[in-house]
Amino acid sequence: MFARRLGPTARLMIWLLAGLSCVVIDVRYQALDGLRSGFSLLLQPVREVMRVPTDITAELTGFFTRHRLLQKERDALLAEQAQLLVRVNNASELTRENAELRALLRLRTRPGQQVVHAALLYQGHDWFAQRITLDQGGSAGLRTGLPVVDAYGLVGQVTQVYPGSSEVTLVSSPEQLTPVFVERTGQRGLAAGSGHGQMELRYMPAQTDLRPGDRLLTSGIDRVYPAGIPVATVTRVSRSQSSPYLRVDCLPQAGLDRSRGVLVLIAEPQVTVR
Amino acid sequence: MNVSVQAAGSWRRILGTLALAVLLEQLPWSGWALVVRPDFVLVGVLFWALHQPARIGFATAFFLGLLADFQDGAVFGQHAIAYVIGVYLVLYLRLRLLQFDPPRQAAQMFPILLGVQLAVLLVGWLAVNPPAGLSMLIPVLGSTVLWYLVALFVRLWHGRGAQNRA
Repeated sequence: MFARRLGPTARLMIWLLAGLSCVVIDVRYQALDGLRSGFSLLLQPVREVMRVPTDITAELTGFFTRHRLLQKERDALLAEQAQLLVRVNNASELTRENAELRALLRLRTRPGQQVVHAALLYQGHDWFAQRITLDQGGSAGLRTGLPVVDAYGLVGQVTQVYPGSSEVTLVSSPEQLTPVFVERTGQRGLAAGSGHGQMELRYMPAQTDLRPGDRLLTSGIDRVYPAGIPVATVTRVSRSQSSPYLRVDCLPQAGLDRSRGVLVLIAEPQVTVR
Repeated sequence: MNVSVQAAGSWRRILGTLALAVLLEQLPWSGWALVVRPDFVLVGVLFWALHQPARIGFATAFFLGLLADFQDGAVFGQHAIAYVIGVYLVLYLRLRLLQFDPPRQAAQMFPILLGVQLAVLLVGWLAVNPPAGLSMLIPVLGSTVLWYLVALFVRLWHGRGAQNRA
């Protein structure tokens, strides 16, 4: 070994070089996925254990919820149930009609949706990419590219699968694109995450009919997301002199940083076009 | 002097605190708590680099930095580079930092912790894409407060010795 220990500056340089090569290997060649799964295996049980205190706190606060509050909630739920029943009847009618029409057109029916329930395991800082970790992984049949939804809408897409856990990139993550259509007009478009838990609708010509409050649903045109999942609501539409496109700000519908339980939709395997 | 006291069982203490720091980061933080969450691991590494530079140095910082990269779903190397820079700064200012009482030491640590976070920001910026806002500088405040509490705790723990030395 060295007769004399290297000075701190020399050692700093060596480690900086090691760090830079890590960055280059990861960004350019994506060659460090093995290290990622290693860390995942290491931290998975730790995270499972560290989730317990939060669960216990939630249990306790839930236990002491007031009786009145529960009653009020029950009344609201009953009212909602009545409304939903009407819509369910309507929907089953439509499903039947749809099946008949599809049979008439001899169209392939949509692949049966299989659902995996997953719970939020860990949430990292959202500085560069907005990701959450779920407690289900490859052993539950998850693959990269699958859509993830919660009770309110689209949460994101599975981007990294480990044996017992998986990472989901949220729809509000920068560079994450979602093909959508406007519910009111049927206009198709491309929604992109813009960070800060917001989204924007890109490349909408200036004369497009768009209003704040319009809902955006997945268009299903990409064969990744099933059609008709709520994605976002338009919050602001502004025109600029310099650009031929509208600037459309949207707010995601799903409780991206609130929901603790999500569903992963597993469709039939499809041919992926690269 | 309490150097001999610290040296005995010191490895156990170092590994114990670093493991505790990693555990604390694995709690499911969310919302505002996540925004102000101090970087427990960074504070732990810098603390031991200050007090036990022969044992905790660049290699530990680098490895724990990789772990932090995994946690945030960031590019590997981003936090590793930043942590290594932090250790260098602490080693460079070591004699000066050791002279101060807890509040002043924490005040001196603030620019170092800020520098580490800026390094994360810069590497991420060059490697992937512009980050979502300057809110990523908020945890620096949390880390500084944590440093103050740790320094205060150590001062109280070894209180008598420290006063005799002064």
